[in-house]
Amino acid sequence: MATLSIKGVRKSFGALEVLKNIDLELEDGGFLVLLGPSGCGKSTLLSIIAGLEPSSGGDVVIGERNVNDVHPKDRNIAMVFQSYALYPTMAVRRNIGFGLEMRKVPQAEREAAVQRAANLLQIEHLLDRKPAQLSGGQRQRVAMGRAIVRDPDLFLFDEPLSNLDAKLRVEMRTEIKRLHDRLGTSVVYVTHDQVEAMTLGTKVAVMREGLIQQIADPQTIYERPANMFVAGFIGSPTMNFLTGTLELAEGGLLLRHGDGALPLVGLEQDVAGFVGKTVVAGIRPESLSAGTGAAMLSGTVDVVEPTGPDTMVLINVGGQVISARLGSRDRPKLGAPLSVVVDTTAVNLFDPETGVRI
Amino acid sequence: MTTRFDRRSVLKLGGGLLAASALTPITGAFAQSKSINYWHTFTSQSEAAGLESVMALFKAAHPDIAVTPENIPNPEFMAKITAAVVANTRPSVTMVSSERFQDLLAMGALTDITDRVANWERRSDFSDQRFDSITADGKVYGVPGFAFVDWIYYRKDWFEEAGIAVPTTLAELYDAAVKLTDPSANRYGFALRGGPGGQNFIINMMEAFGAKLIQADGSISLDREKAIAGLTFYSDLAKNAAPSSAPNDGFRQIIEGFQTGQTAMVYHHTGSYQDIASKLEPGVQFGTMAVPTGPVNRVARLAYAYNTITKAEDADAAWEWIKFWGEPDAAVAFLEKTGYFPASTTAAADQRIAGNPMYAAASETLGFGIPQPSFPGAAGWAEGTVLPAFQRILIGQATPEQAADEIIAGLAEATQ
Amino acid sequence: MSRVAAASPPPRSVWDSLNPVRLLGELSETRYWMYLLLLPSALLITAVVLYPTVYGFQMSFHEMRLNRPALGTGFVGLKHYARMVSDPIFWTSLVNTAAWVTSSIILEFLVGLIAALALNRNLPGTKVLAVLILIPYFLPNVVAGHMWALMLDPRLGVINDVLVRIGWLESYKAWFADPTTAMGAAIVVEVWHSFPFFTLLIMAGLKGIPADLYKAADIDGAGAFSQLRLITLPMLKTIIAAAVILRVIGLVNSPDLLLILTSGGPGRSTQVLSLYAFQTAYKDFNFGYAGALSVVMFVLLMGFAYIYIRLSKVNQD
Repeated sequence: MATLSIKGVRKSFGALEVLKNIDLELEDGGFLVLLGPSGCGKSTLLSIIAGLEPSSGGDVVIGERNVNDVHPKDRNIAMVFQSYALYPTMAVRRNIGFGLEMRKVPQAEREAAVQRAANLLQIEHLLDRKPAQLSGGQRQRVAMGRAIVRDPDLFLFDEPLSNLDAKLRVEMRTEIKRLHDRLGTSVVYVTHDQVEAMTLGTKVAVMREGLIQQIADPQTIYERPANMFVAGFIGSPTMNFLTGTLELAEGGLLLRHGDGALPLVGLEQDVAGFVGKTVVAGIRPESLSAGTGAAMLSGTVDVVEPTGPDTMVLINVGGQVISARLGSRDRPKLGAPLSVVVDTTAVNLFDPETGVRI
Repeated sequence: MTTRFDRRSVLKLGGGLLAASALTPITGAFAQSKSINYWHTFTSQSEAAGLESVMALFKAAHPDIAVTPENIPNPEFMAKITAAVVANTRPSVTMVSSERFQDLLAMGALTDITDRVANWERRSDFSDQRFDSITADGKVYGVPGFAFVDWIYYRKDWFEEAGIAVPTTLAELYDAAVKLTDPSANRYGFALRGGPGGQNFIINMMEAFGAKLIQADGSISLDREKAIAGLTFYSDLAKNAAPSSAPNDGFRQIIEGFQTGQTAMVYHHTGSYQDIASKLEPGVQFGTMAVPTGPVNRVARLAYAYNTITKAEDADAAWEWIKFWGEPDAAVAFLEKTGYFPASTTAAADQRIAGNPMYAAASETLGFGIPQPSFPGAAGWAEGTVLPAFQRILIGQATPEQAADEIIAGLAEATQ
Repeated sequence: MSRVAAASPPPRSVWDSLNPVRLLGELSETRYWMYLLLLPSALLITAVVLYPTVYGFQMSFHEMRLNRPALGTGFVGLKHYARMVSDPIFWTSLVNTAAWVTSSIILEFLVGLIAALALNRNLPGTKVLAVLILIPYFLPNVVAGHMWALMLDPRLGVINDVLVRIGWLESYKAWFADPTTAMGAAIVVEVWHSFPFFTLLIMAGLKGIPADLYKAADIDGAGAFSQLRLITLPMLKTIIAAAVILRVIGLVNSPDLLLILTSGGPGRSTQVLSLYAFQTAYKDFNFGYAGALSVVMFVLLMGFAYIYIRLSKVNQD
């Protein structure tokens, strides 16, 4: 077990810069999720941590050790690949024990370790099969077995669940969380799936175009996104962006949008500098609810999508479409006027020029 | 004068009934043009040049016949012609060396042209013996195109420097070759062809020592003791006076060896004259001598490359082409490009040949030269048994006695 | 699919029993239909593959000497095979064939593998090199043979020149005139000519191995040699097996390179079965015996392919 710190890591392929000065820290036993759309550089960063890819600059420190010039096998890490990367010609037993075999661990010790890992992952009955004879979920378990058998300082997961179907994905996600809780080993986990990021991570780094947009615990990422990209990337359906002018009225701050005005009560931000200017209010659909209150948005119903537990309603508010997560019994009529209450303590204001949270 | 009734002339007749006479000259010119293809085994640049000049003369004389030459590499020749005969994709005319005649005749590749030859206006230019190697059961199957006259090229300058007279017997040749050999200077007395194509020289040597292949009664056999004597002589010559590459040396290697000053003598025929004269100065650096006499026989081959008709449908045009090689102008033009001697006695008497002292040895050989023994299976036996057996002596895997036994056993197998 | 309709077909009219379309339709419902559909390809295979093979077999049991038509083409039973047993040239050729094929294949595979691994690294210039390295294979055997005969020539050969200059040789060597080097030199030429075949196939195979496997192996601590032995080679097993079988068939069957370089000499030190069969057919015109030699080669190749596939376990997994 160890900490991980990344200092000023850069990577370019020719003229293309895929990582621009990345800094991050992971505490011992933490679970860091690198989250972002494809092409954001998250997998490259993971490869650099693993040592499979040289960086163009900066330092990777695992524990107390700067591993810039250390071969992957000597970094004491273990990695689980999206493709699982099981050796197709070896039985599961040898696949799991391969890292130990290469490190010349005595046979008996190796056997015991493989048995323990298999036990933990409930794959004892698969030990003598070849990878081709396993289902996707079983391969995933074997790949994890291969990672945990060596008791490494750091686990690296590269989109490990994206090849599984939805049901298995949920199951394996739980499994990974359980394993992490049990083993306590630090993890770096790459994914483009925000649900995985939110459920698994103790720390989430949202990346875009080679830059970390925000690094924080999942709650913060969700509630106080650093910019409009993070705000839009996290949460489903995505956050509503309501553009308007910030005004200081007698009761306090007010967002004037088209014909309407939204009083902003209990705002956590210091927005004094933006009074009289255009701002974007980020409002999550779940911050809207049916009923009446001080802060209301009114418009006409555009679309109604019952999903079971909720009803998603798209409301046209003076030309801007806002989605609201309402109760399952709220079934407004199409084209009918509708007003919803806004929990303004959950509203985030962004600078429309930079996209950054004010 | 021949009248041809091919498909086109029949069409012309039919069309002529309907169409205006204006059409006739066009179709008429068409009807007489004929194209034939000619399979040959010429390989060297000089041979190619010789063929070109004969074709140019032929084109001037027969503008209505187009000849397409097709080069068939010598080692693949028998395979190709066999396939062509079996599949009936025969060439119109094929060049046939005398040792291949019997095999090709047996497989039915050749067309009987006895009558055409008998009525040929230039038949009297050739002595009867010229046709011996292309005649079977009184039927003639080809016309000699040019002659292979065996002789030996020697380094005149080296012989003079060493004070050695031109050998007249094989024993003298041996002594001269050994004297001129100095491995430390990479100089050897004799360019011995122990590789591809070397088989006939081995047969010549056995015959020079008395082992004739075809007996007086026409039977085929070899005298063991005499064959051993010939093999011993020839392999000793190889060991003591030839480069170590001899067991793999073929035509290109022996000629290059002589051209580059590695060897003092090379036994070949007149056809390589121009190739050698292109590198060494005739009469100064090199001379030519008739093949010296052996203890029993004097064996210098006089062989002919025959042109044969291999596709009966094209016989008329083909006949024009093959008899053209008997024209003195064509024969001399070919000689001047290559060194190959004319088969026609009239052409050989041409001043351009008779007046050149370098050709004296060849003219002399015309007097005593004898044909290559030929019988079905001869070529296969010579290449498949005689040559490897002799090579085995050269590389120390067999004694001349063992080689002779192998050769005789192979002969029995081939002729059974 | 209507089972009900099939169970009670509509009554047949007289016309129905004559209507060819209807009859064809009914035939298509029977089990004979599949044989009818197979018929065209079966005929094609018979004509293209089976007939020549069978013809070759039956030729080996007949007298067939093109230049001795008087002998006829009668059935001679196992005469040719009996002759083979006591034919020293056959046994020499068999031993030489084994040496020629085994050495060539092993070297071609090793050189081909090394070249493929080198070219697979995606370094700058490897794309151009990958094309250049294939050039020998594009050369016809005849051209490659004559080219090497010149390069190894005892008088003018550039290779002799280089070897003398760097001091490996005292003087120019006649590689093909010495029975101890003739086969070796011919193998060098063959390896040069055909290793790109292995390179090409192995490169194609390498592209199919997921890069993640090597990354996983890196992390697991497997070195380059272990990765080659435990990942690359097992993953290439099928391709290597196919390449070896194809190349063995090619080597056993084609005499042309040796024909040009040595014609089987000196002595019979490079005589191989294909060359012997070729010479028997086209120099001796003994197609019966040549046919028997070919049948033996065919049987040996079939045996080899069978045993090789069994041993290499390509059919497993």
